[in-house]
Amino acid sequence: MKSKFLTTSAAVLALGLTAACGGGGDAENARSAKGPIKVWLSNNPEEITWGKAMVKEWNAAHPDEKVTAQEIPAGKTSEEVIGASITAGNAPCLVFNTSPAAVPQFQKQGGLVPLDDFSKGTEYVESRSGDSAEQYKSPDGKYYQIPWKQNPVMIFYNKDLFKKAGLDTSKPPLTTYADFLATSKKIVDSGAAPSAIAPAPSSEFFQSWFDFYPLYAAESGGKQTIEDGKATFDSPAGKDVWNFWHEMYAKGYSPKEKYDGDSFADKKAAMAVVGPWAIAVYKGKVDWGVAPVPTKDGAAPGEVYSFTDAKNIGLYSACKNQQTAWDLLKFATSEEQDGKLLETTGQMPIRTDLATTYASYFQKHPEYKTFADQASRTVEVPNVPNSVEIWQNIRDEYSSSVIFDKTPVDDAISKAAASANDLASGS
Amino acid sequence: MSTPVTQRILGRHPLGLLFAAPYAVFLAMVFAWPLALAVWMSFHDYFFAAPGVPVDRPFVGLDNYVTVLGDPDVRRSFVNVGIFLLINVPLTVVLSLVLAAGLNAAVRARTFLRVSYYVPYVTASVALVAVWLFLFSSGGLVNEILGPLAPSPSWLVNAKAAMPVIALFVTWKQLGLFILLYLAALQAIPRDLYDAAAVDRATGLRAFWHVTVPGVRPATTLVVILATITGANLFTEPYLLTNGGGPDGASTSPVFVMYQKGIEQGNPDTAAAIGVVLVVAVLLISLVNRKLLERD
Amino acid sequence: MSRTFWTRTALFLGALVFLFPFYYMLVGSFQKTPDTTVRGIFPTGGWTLDNYTDINSRVNLLQSLLNSVIVTSGVLLGTVVFGVLAGYALARLHFRGRGTLFAVMLLVQIIPFQLLIIPIYVMIVRSYGLADSYAGMILPFAINSTAVFVFRQFFIGLPDDLFSAAMLDGASELRIMWSIAIPLVRPAILTACLITFIGPWNEFLWPFLVTKNQDLQPLAVTLANYISNIAGRATNPFGAILAGAVVLAAPAVALFVVFQKHFTATEISSGVKG
Repeated sequence: MKSKFLTTSAAVLALGLTAACGGGGDAENARSAKGPIKVWLSNNPEEITWGKAMVKEWNAAHPDEKVTAQEIPAGKTSEEVIGASITAGNAPCLVFNTSPAAVPQFQKQGGLVPLDDFSKGTEYVESRSGDSAEQYKSPDGKYYQIPWKQNPVMIFYNKDLFKKAGLDTSKPPLTTYADFLATSKKIVDSGAAPSAIAPAPSSEFFQSWFDFYPLYAAESGGKQTIEDGKATFDSPAGKDVWNFWHEMYAKGYSPKEKYDGDSFADKKAAMAVVGPWAIAVYKGKVDWGVAPVPTKDGAAPGEVYSFTDAKNIGLYSACKNQQTAWDLLKFATSEEQDGKLLETTGQMPIRTDLATTYASYFQKHPEYKTFADQASRTVEVPNVPNSVEIWQNIRDEYSSSVIFDKTPVDDAISKAAASANDLASGS
Repeated sequence: MSTPVTQRILGRHPLGLLFAAPYAVFLAMVFAWPLALAVWMSFHDYFFAAPGVPVDRPFVGLDNYVTVLGDPDVRRSFVNVGIFLLINVPLTVVLSLVLAAGLNAAVRARTFLRVSYYVPYVTASVALVAVWLFLFSSGGLVNEILGPLAPSPSWLVNAKAAMPVIALFVTWKQLGLFILLYLAALQAIPRDLYDAAAVDRATGLRAFWHVTVPGVRPATTLVVILATITGANLFTEPYLLTNGGGPDGASTSPVFVMYQKGIEQGNPDTAAAIGVVLVVAVLLISLVNRKLLERD
Repeated sequence: MSRTFWTRTALFLGALVFLFPFYYMLVGSFQKTPDTTVRGIFPTGGWTLDNYTDINSRVNLLQSLLNSVIVTSGVLLGTVVFGVLAGYALARLHFRGRGTLFAVMLLVQIIPFQLLIIPIYVMIVRSYGLADSYAGMILPFAINSTAVFVFRQFFIGLPDDLFSAAMLDGASELRIMWSIAIPLVRPAILTACLITFIGPWNEFLWPFLVTKNQDLQPLAVTLANYISNIAGRATNPFGAILAGAVVLAAPAVALFVVFQKHFTATEISSGVKG
């Protein structure tokens, strides 16, 4: 017992010391220092190709400021890896895979550097992304991330399976909820596919971004789930979205079990919730068509909102040569590099005038144009404290009411909204 | 070598201190300090910050514990583990003892049999989960065989079936170790006891019940305690088999919730509180088990 | 005769049931398309090596295997050297703090690693600067407490007469341990090795946190990563996942089969006796 007490005291002392050590002086030096740096890329094969080429170009021009790139898994564990590395003080200078939902947490940990602190930082971010940049500001008004690329969410449908079900493949009835449900019924009843659409029904906190959120963005005309610190989705729009999905699951048009594989490629579902990354993935596998997400009463395609599914770049405080990191960040988000990103990965850089800047690309690849157009009407996850926990609560309530029909939808939404209000106020 | 004074301070064999020192230091570093920190965290409003960042860490007394014990997700996870243990522990004890007895008696193909029963134990959960997912998915082999008897919704998304499937998986995987323990104990039972029982015309099942089972009582205690500890600390299987907690939280476990809250959501203080509660619960259950089983 | 016949049949059937998932894993990994029907248990066609070549093109299997070997060897070395010493001390030497150490050793096995993982991570990466290194991967597992327990039980089980003769001759403790206890401990070492090796070989969360450099990552990490993130993009995702599982499981199973006769009960029998 006594040794336990001693060890505890030692621990407290050690923590106190580490908290006291280190201070403003170091940060100032790091801010303007130049030199070799480390960056992390996600392990998406196309992004690696782009990243490695970009780093090679930089290294050739800056032999004194060499960049080393490492891969981290793009999956659900990347936020944990980054969070752990912030705590340990060995985070890289830039992470080209920073999820906007994790930024509030990293910021709270003191792990991110506000880009406004660099000369003309704010201007750079805002001139590149225009009005979209606003969504990425933190509650203190600063930019702790630069919006980098997005994958606006839309619906893919399998033309062959639609034909089999006797549905129009050039103007498929998918605009209103009623149409979407009727289409789904036809698909399943005709045996064209076991499911109409199969979003992952599992309970990870981010899964709601691919069923609930895109439709909510559309139905509410571009609202985030939390605005001005208050939940917005305990509303007719929110309830309509949850009830829509509830019917999809209740009638069996969407499976309650996660398919281990690609349900769209394996023809187990006739539709899928996708971003522009899907074009490369399904090329040659599925004859696809694309449509915006449905709204209750239907809307013109040019008016429908959706979710960004963005991944951004963060500059981390553990970085010793932050000036180099900042210069690299600007290089990697320059018009030229953004263009290469678009060409290599098909994902949309978050730039204003995306369609006009890269007009020749979209002429050569018209299939991406629909997504580029959707990119101007996308909504990001709200930048509020406890963001991950809020999404987890939303997912748990959604799962219980919409997917497994255990609790009434109205109650579930109220509960989720109430806890979101609590958490977003920063407790 | 040792004077009476040193003997009084350091014990009869101070050399033991030297031998045990590396291990003791290792334990202090890798176990005692982090554990102390975890306990300390559970009493404070704590989150991990970058080095050098000044952060407020107020003492909050039992707040975290109150939050945790009142959280329905946490309570659910403890209930789930309870269900798991109710299935897994008795099944493990019975199966491993029976199989060990069988293996002990078997002479032919002993190697093949032994390897078959141990192999799941030495294989990584990650690898085995992949096969089980394949087998138990709604289009998988198990449902194909069961045909109309297949549960709907299918196993791993069925709130009632998810935890039992995990219990089955873990039992299958761990059995090798417990068979080993029982084999050891069986070999220690003197032959004369069986001979004496045979004289009383107690053979076969009766001998098993009256000689074998009591004879391996210490092993049974060990098996029960080890199985309880493993079950209470369940993490990999809920994490991998049911993709994070299963249908509506039906297969979450306390360690899984700890991971969610501590690492995913950045609340290591509440996570630490859950951990402390779990450890205390396991200690209590182990003590009770021990008392019950050695009720001689 | 009939009773042994039934026992033997039951044992064999049980063994087959136990092995079935492994068989299924193997079969599925060589298939071009996944077949979940009952007939699919014994497929007659559709064989392919594609799933394996897919893994090999995406991850460096040989390097990962080597890393696993290095990390596991490090743990085995630490466990055998320091574990035997500690086990002997706990068993036969009386020193201040022996009881506490024994209690702590037992306690270690109850505490879940997830409770301690971040503090340990901070300590190893921040205070000792061991990120992206073999030492960083080995350190939290360097001395396996279960093995220490096994050694202790083993040394307790040795008959006292072995030692009393030497003690009467006035040999020092060090001498006694070196010339009597150590030569006898070999069977226990083998058992302890088999118990200890499973942990670091199959562990993926810890090395995954500590190393970003792919050249250092052990097999469990590369394959878990492959299974959860990359296999989904292969032509036959199910087959690719199963192939990954086979590659991960194969070395452990092979090693076990080779050494299995040493994985017997006698060395730890004293533990279960008392």
